[in-house]
Amino acid sequence: MNDQENIEHALAVDDAPVDTEGALARFRARVGREGVLPVSAAPRRRIAARWLQALAAAAAIVLVASGLALSGAADSILKIFEPKSVVGVPLTQGDLNTLGQACAGLELEQCLGAYGTFAWDTPPQPKEVTTLAAASSAAGFSVKTPSSLPIGVTGQPRYGVINKSSATFTFSADATQRTAAKQSRTTPPLPANIDGSKLFITGGPAVVQIWGVPQSSSPTVGSGMPTLVVGQAKSPVVSSDGVTVAELQSYLLAQPGVSPQLAAAIRAISDPASTLPVPVPAELAVSHQVTVQGVSGLFIGDNTGIASAILWQKDGMMFEVIGALTERQALDVANSMK
Amino acid sequence: MGLSVTLPASGHDSRATALPIAFERLFRTEYGRVVGIANRILNDTAEAEDVAQEVFFSFYRTHAADASYASAWLHAAAAHSALNALRARARRDRREAADAVAPDAADPADPAARVVAAETRDEVRAVLARLPERSAALLALRYSGLSYAEIAAALDVRASSVGTLLRRAEEAFRRELA
Repeated sequence: MNDQENIEHALAVDDAPVDTEGALARFRARVGREGVLPVSAAPRRRIAARWLQALAAAAAIVLVASGLALSGAADSILKIFEPKSVVGVPLTQGDLNTLGQACAGLELEQCLGAYGTFAWDTPPQPKEVTTLAAASSAAGFSVKTPSSLPIGVTGQPRYGVINKSSATFTFSADATQRTAAKQSRTTPPLPANIDGSKLFITGGPAVVQIWGVPQSSSPTVGSGMPTLVVGQAKSPVVSSDGVTVAELQSYLLAQPGVSPQLAAAIRAISDPASTLPVPVPAELAVSHQVTVQGVSGLFIGDNTGIASAILWQKDGMMFEVIGALTERQALDVANSMK
Repeated sequence: MGLSVTLPASGHDSRATALPIAFERLFRTEYGRVVGIANRILNDTAEAEDVAQEVFFSFYRTHAADASYASAWLHAAAAHSALNALRARARRDRREAADAVAPDAADPADPAARVVAAETRDEVRAVLARLPERSAALLALRYSGLSYAEIAAALDVRASSVGTLLRRAEEAFRRELA
């Protein structure tokens, strides 16, 4: 008996037949019991799509004033959020644990469904194009691209375009209480003026440029990350049919699990209607304001110094540079964009 | 008082949910293999089936059933989850060491004989639990019948490297037994 046969013998087990149908029935019962929804669609290219989806979620949502005006609803609509600047908001591990309960592993729609009804009017549909010109044409704006790249970022980028997307969110006191009950926690009752009110969200169009993902890549579990991602999107706009930012903020910050530090950081935002708060895990990353393209932006770096990101807003557009870069390199890339 | 309490009928859950067809297909195709990988590590079919349920549940929550990497993800998760369960069992066993039975003695001068002698469940599994994660996963996947290509996909290594990595894992396994 050779060594391999010895090991095979040592690792041999009784391969008892399994009852697949019985196991599937148990699985169905658990899914029903815990109310877990499936992930709906597989991204064609996993790595690229992950970035596209992240940007789509970040740029999330809906109803543009033009659409509302056409429907005659404009008089009752109040624009409550349009970012003109970005700021980091530190989250502790405790915040992440608590706030993550409602959304762990869920898509945006499912997560927001814990507090009401989220419906895409025009869902984001990322697609890939082959050239910068095609990306500009599809997005309807001139796409800026870095004029110089750091050492280590080579080759041609891939281009993703996300259409202008819109969605409506309707707050529901019932859904909020159901979710809290399912998670065995108590939550303050949704104020009557928020229950049933709607948010109209529009985001995009957006374009992402991704370096370091081969054209022919067939991603598998744990495949490498892109070396550089540059995103540009029309600033998202959130409108409301009644509720104000202050009312929303007051309710959300009263949720159990929101630490005093997090609440203070969010309340410290002087103009919440035009400032995009970017969550920064305090134990994992650092952040500070930087000047980029002549405006104030936000630098986020992980504690290992391996990855960094810069986000800024200028001329009605949101920009982001993300990569395995030092802060200096990330700033150089951001400032070289034309 | 008009209070009434309704309990679910034993053995039947009225909240059982219809799953997407693609997921059911994936479950039927891969369940046996996922249990097999976990069982290779745990040598306990019931525990392996529990691990498989958790693996499929994690996948269901976060990935689409028709994802190209679905099988590879499940295979890797089966190995890693079972190794976690094995290490938890090893910690539990150490706490209960006072009741443990000493393994059979074998001739330390003869590694081959030592491997054969190490057929007891506890010793072989203890060795797996001590091995580096990737080495233990490699052995479990290979000796569960996965091809080099399937192992490469599951562990995100080049297919051309699997043979070398496997030999190193086998050597490490033998060293741990020696």
